[in-house]
Amino acid sequence: MAWLVVRLAITVSLLYTASAVFEDQVGKFDWRQQFIGKVRFALFDTHSQASKKLLVATDKNVFASLNSRTGDLFWRHVDKTGPEGHIDALLMYGQDAVVVVGNGRLLRSWETTVGGLKWEAVLDTGSFQAAALVGVQDFVKYVAVLKKSAISLHDLSSGSQIWVENLPDSDTVQYQTIYSGGNGLVFVLGFVPNSHIVIVEYKIEDGEIMKKKSVEAAWMSSLENSCAVISSGILLCVDQITQSLYTLPLQSAEQTEMRQIHLQTLDLEVASGFPPVLTSTQPNPAQPPLAEFFLQLSPDHHILLQLKDGLIAPLRDFNPSYLAAFATSGEKTVAAVMSPKNDTACSINLFSADTGRRHLDTTIIYHMDPNGGKPNRLYVHAFLKKDDSVGYRVMVQTEDLTLTFLQQPGRVVWMREEALADVVTMEMVDLPLTGTQAELEGEFGKKADGLLPMVLKRLSSQFILLQAWMAHLWKLFYDARKPRSSVKNEVTIDTLSRDEFNLQKMMVMVTASGKLFGIDSKSGTILWKQYLENIQPNSIFKLIVQRTTAHFPHPPQCTLLIKDKDTGLGSLYVFNPIFGKKSHISVPALPRPVLQTLLLPVIDQDYAKVLLLIDDQYKVTAFPSTKNVLQQLQDTASSIFFYLVDTSQGKLSGFRLRMDLSTELIWEVVIPTEVQKIVAVKGKRANEHVHSQGRVMGDRSVLYKYLNPNLLAVITESTDTHQERSFVGIFLIDGVTGRIVHEAVQRKARGPVHFVHSENWVVYVYWNSKFRRNEFSVLELFEGAELYNSTVFSSLDRPHPPQVLQQSYIFPAPISTLEATLTEKGITSRHLLVGLPSGNILSLPKMFLDPRRPEVVSEQSREENLIPYAPEMPIRTEWFINYNQTVSRVRGIYTAPSGLESTCLVVAYGLDIYQTRVFPSKQFDVLKDDYDYVLISSVLFGLFFATMISKRLAEVKLLNRAWR
Amino acid sequence: MKTRVRSRVCACVALLLLFVVHASFSHEDIKLLEDYETSEDLDVRVQVSGRAVVPWLRAQDWISSARVLLDGDKHVGFIRDDGGFTVSDVPSGSYVLEISSPTYRFQPVRVDITTTGKMRARVVNYIKTSEVIRLPYPLQMRCVGLHSYFIPRETWGWSDFLMNPMVLMMVLPLLIIVLLPKVINPSDPEMRREMEQSMNMLNSNQELPDVSELVTKFFSPPKSQGRPGGGARVPRGGAPSVRGGAPRRRGKTNMAVSYTE
Repeated sequence: MAWLVVRLAITVSLLYTASAVFEDQVGKFDWRQQFIGKVRFALFDTHSQASKKLLVATDKNVFASLNSRTGDLFWRHVDKTGPEGHIDALLMYGQDAVVVVGNGRLLRSWETTVGGLKWEAVLDTGSFQAAALVGVQDFVKYVAVLKKSAISLHDLSSGSQIWVENLPDSDTVQYQTIYSGGNGLVFVLGFVPNSHIVIVEYKIEDGEIMKKKSVEAAWMSSLENSCAVISSGILLCVDQITQSLYTLPLQSAEQTEMRQIHLQTLDLEVASGFPPVLTSTQPNPAQPPLAEFFLQLSPDHHILLQLKDGLIAPLRDFNPSYLAAFATSGEKTVAAVMSPKNDTACSINLFSADTGRRHLDTTIIYHMDPNGGKPNRLYVHAFLKKDDSVGYRVMVQTEDLTLTFLQQPGRVVWMREEALADVVTMEMVDLPLTGTQAELEGEFGKKADGLLPMVLKRLSSQFILLQAWMAHLWKLFYDARKPRSSVKNEVTIDTLSRDEFNLQKMMVMVTASGKLFGIDSKSGTILWKQYLENIQPNSIFKLIVQRTTAHFPHPPQCTLLIKDKDTGLGSLYVFNPIFGKKSHISVPALPRPVLQTLLLPVIDQDYAKVLLLIDDQYKVTAFPSTKNVLQQLQDTASSIFFYLVDTSQGKLSGFRLRMDLSTELIWEVVIPTEVQKIVAVKGKRANEHVHSQGRVMGDRSVLYKYLNPNLLAVITESTDTHQERSFVGIFLIDGVTGRIVHEAVQRKARGPVHFVHSENWVVYVYWNSKFRRNEFSVLELFEGAELYNSTVFSSLDRPHPPQVLQQSYIFPAPISTLEATLTEKGITSRHLLVGLPSGNILSLPKMFLDPRRPEVVSEQSREENLIPYAPEMPIRTEWFINYNQTVSRVRGIYTAPSGLESTCLVVAYGLDIYQTRVFPSKQFDVLKDDYDYVLISSVLFGLFFATMISKRLAEVKLLNRAWR
Repeated sequence: MKTRVRSRVCACVALLLLFVVHASFSHEDIKLLEDYETSEDLDVRVQVSGRAVVPWLRAQDWISSARVLLDGDKHVGFIRDDGGFTVSDVPSGSYVLEISSPTYRFQPVRVDITTTGKMRARVVNYIKTSEVIRLPYPLQMRCVGLHSYFIPRETWGWSDFLMNPMVLMMVLPLLIIVLLPKVINPSDPEMRREMEQSMNMLNSNQELPDVSELVTKFFSPPKSQGRPGGGARVPRGGAPSVRGGAPRRRGKTNMAVSYTE
C-alpha cells in the first residue's frame, strides 16, 4: 500500500517536473544526422535497372542500404562494436546480401529491400580468410567460407551448412583465397612463404578433395593482392622483386610450374618499394572471370591488360591514374579510371574492358576539396541506357572519409561526411554579431561623451533597429507570397549572425580521422571543414576555446591540441572557429610529451586566454607567450595550481607554478595500483554558474552548499574483478591542497562508471554485480547551516569538512553516457541527460537524485518539495528528448548554455549526431510556442466592446432615470 | 605531503535500501539460482533465441529498425523476417534482453544461462532480483503498445473555461442576482410573509441591533436617523441582495487573490 502511495506521489510530482516534447515541436529546433562510418565494402544493386540501392558495410560494424539518388539511408543495421561485430565480407546476389561477421563467426543473409534478416548461421571458430559465392550451372546456390584451417559450404537460400572440410596441412600452408568458376569445383589457394603454392580442389556436392597439387613459387610472399584468377581458371601472380608475371592454369595436370613473363617484355616496370596490385573481375559468380585485368605498378599508374591465348597483351596504359575499377551492367563490363586533370580536379573516364577503347562523352570531372584529402576508393555503378550504351555513376571515397556520388558531367548528386561518425570532441562557439548588433552593443560599452551626442546616438541606433525591423517585415511579407517550396533558408558563412537569444551557435567538431567541421547548430549545415593531414590514427584531441567572439575586432580563436597516444608528443593547431581558417599565430614547439593543459582566466592584450602546457619534465609552456602574458603570470604564479594524474602508478600529484614558470610539487596522493586503479578524474566545468548558495529547508533555515571550484572527483575500480570482491571507489580531492574531502566505496560493484561532477554534487552510475543492475548514486556536499566565508572560497582556508549526503537508486536500464544540463546563470533546475544504448536520451530531473529524499514523508519535506524515496528510478518515454530520433552508439553529450536562461543546447554524438534544446524548468522566460494570441486578443476586444456597450447602456439608463 | 589511501575505505553515508528476499521458492529453484550465479569464467557460449511479434503488423514492416539487445549493447541480435531472432555467442550469466525499436514497446525479459548452458527466462524485477517468475523459453516477445514520446498540449475549450472554479464563482452569484428576483415575486404578499419569516429565523434575535447599523448610527449625523435605511431589516428587495451580495463579495475577493497569485 505504501508502495502504491509512493508511486502515486511520484506520478503526481512528475506532472510538474516533466519537460517533454510536444508533438508539434518535432523538427522545429532539433535535427539528426545519421552516419555509417568508413566504407569497407560497397555494392550497387545491379539486379534491376531502376534499383536505387547501394549496400555498404563499414568499419563501424554497420551494414546499411543507401539511396543512391539522394544519399539517404533506406535502413541501417548497427552491430555491436569491437571485433565480434566486425564485417569481414559482403557478397551480393540478386535480392540477397550475405555478410560474414566477427572474424568468420556468423554468416548472415539479408533481404535488401526491407532490410530484414533472412537467416543467420553460426560457423566454427577460426580466423576468417575469404568468402565467395559458388555457382553451379549458371545459378548461384552456395556460399563458401574459407577459414584458416577449414572450408565450409552453405546453402544460399536457407543458410544450412552443406559440408565442412578441414584443409590439408593447414599448420604450414596459409590458405588465403577461394575461387569457383561455376564448373562444380571450388579451388582453395594457399601458399608456403618463399616455397610453393598449394591448390586444393573440392567437389561442390560433398566436399570431397578431387585434387591437390603444389607448385614451386620461391618468390611468393603474399597471395592476397598480388594474385588473381582470370579467364577460365588461370592463376595470375605478380612479383615485384623478379619484376615478372606468373601464370598457372588451375586445372591442368601437366603444368607443374608457373610460367614466368617478364614485365620488361611488356615494357613495364613496377615502381620500387610499391607492392603491385592485380585487380580482376568476375561479373557472375557462376561463370569464370574475364580475361582482362588491371595491374597497378605505382600509386598513380594503372595498366589494363588482357590474357589471350596464353599471351598477355596491354590494352591501355593509364599513366597517370589514381584509381581504377571494373563495373558490369548486363553483358557489358567497363572500366572506370580516375586520372588527374589539374591541381584541383580529376577526370573519370569509362573504357570498355574487352578492348580498352574509351567510351565517348563519358567524362566525369571530380573537383577535389582543397581542404580535404585525396580520393582513395572508387565505386562504379554502370547501367545500360535506352540506346544500349553504358552510362555510369561513381562514388568516390577520400582519405578524410567523404563519400561523393557523381554523375555526368560532374554533377555532385550527394555527399556524405562519414568522418562525423566518429566525433571525438566538440565545442560550441557563439556566432559573431552583425554590424547593427555590434553598433548597439558598442553604445553601452563606450565612455559617455556628453548628453546630446548620447541622445543622438541612441536615436540613430533606434532608427537602425526600426529599419532592420521594417526590412524583416518586408521579407516576411515577400516570402509569404512565394510558394513555400521556393523559400530557402540557405545558411552560408556570410549570412551567419547571432540570433536574439543566442540559440544558434557554431558547433566545432573534431573527428578521429583528423577532420574538423564547423556546423550550424540550427540547421545542421556543414559550414566549413578542414582536413588535417598526417594525423596518427590513435591521436588524442583536446579542443580549447581561447578567445570567444565577444572581442571584436579580434577574431575568435580555438586551439586544438593533437597528441600522439604512444609517444605523447603533441602539436597545436590554431584556427578561427567561425570560418575554419588556420591562424597565422606562431605556435610554440612542443619537443616533449604534454601531460596536462590548463586554460587560465588570465588574458593577454588581445583578449586571448592563456593556455599552459605542462610537459613530462614539469616545465610549463605558455601560449600565447608574449611579454604581457609572462608579466601577468609572474604576478599570479603563486595562485596557479594544477594536478597530474598517473594512472599506471596510481598517483595524483599537485603542483604550483613558480615565478620563473618552473613548478614545485606540493602534494601527492597514491592510490595503490595493486588494489584499485584510477579510471577517471573530473573537475567541474569552468563555465558553470551556481545561482543559489544554499537550499532553503522546510523550517526556513538554509543549508549552504559546499561550492569548492577546485574539487576533483576521482573514480577508481578494483583490480579484482570477481563479483564478490570487486568495488568502485570515489574520492573527492581538493586540487589545490590535495586534501581528501570525502571518499566512498560501493562494494560488489564494477564499471564502467559514468559520472557527472557539478555544483556541489557528484552523480555516478555503476554496475551492481550482486544484483545485476545499474545503480545511480548521488553525493551532495554541504557546508552546513553557516557559511565559513561567504565572499570568497579558498581551498587553503576551510577548516570544517563538508557534510556529505549520499543516496543510491536503481536505474532500470543500461547506460552509455551521462551529462548534466547547463544554463546561462544556473537558475533553472538541472536535469541529467542519460544516453541509453537503445539510442534514446533521457532527461532525468536532478530532483530525483537528491540525497535528501526522505523515506518517511514529513511536513517539512513536503514543504521543501522533496519526492519521497523510492529505490527504483522511473524511466518514462515522455522524458526522451529525442523521441524516435534515436542516436546510435551515443558516446558523448555536449551541453551549452544559450542566451535564454530556460534553454540549454544539447548535442549528442556517437554514430549519429543529434542536436536539440531542452527546457528543464519549461520555457519560463519566453512565450510558449502555443501561446494563444487569438484568445487573448479576442478577450481583449470583447472586454473593450463590452465596456463600450455597457457604457452606452448606462448612459441611456441614466437619461431615462433623469426623465422620470 | 604524502597521503596514502588505504584500500579499506569507510562505508557510505546512505546506502541503498536492502530488500529482504523471502525464501519462498522451492529448494530446486534455489539450487538453480546458485547455479546461475556462479562465475562466468567457463567458456560456454550459447544461443538465445525467441520470437518477437507486433500483432497488428507484418514482420517486414518493423524489423528493419529493431534490434535485440542483451545488457545494453553487449550482445546484439537482429530479427528475422519471420519475427524470430537469435543472439549468438552469449557466455553464461544473467542478462536482460530487450527489443529496441523506436516505435514499438516490448517488455524486457531476464535470461539466465548456467555454466552448463542451461537457460531460463523470467520477469525482470530490479528490486527483488532473485525473484523467479518464469517465462516461456524460447522467448515470446509481444509488443505491448507504442512508445508515447509526446505529451498533449493543453487545449482551450469552452467546457474547461466554464468549469473553472473561478468562473463558476463569478457566474453563479450573477445568475442568482439576475434570476432570483424574477423567480420570486416580491410583490406577492404571501411570499413576502414567508420571506420575512425566514429572515426572522435567520436573525433570531431581531431586537439586537446590527453591528454595522450601530456603527453607522454612531458616526452618522443625527438627521439621517429618520431615513428608512439599513439593509438587514428592510425586507423588500433586501433579502436577495443580502443573500446574493455576500457570496458576490467573496467571489470578488477571491478573484483578487487569484490574480496576485
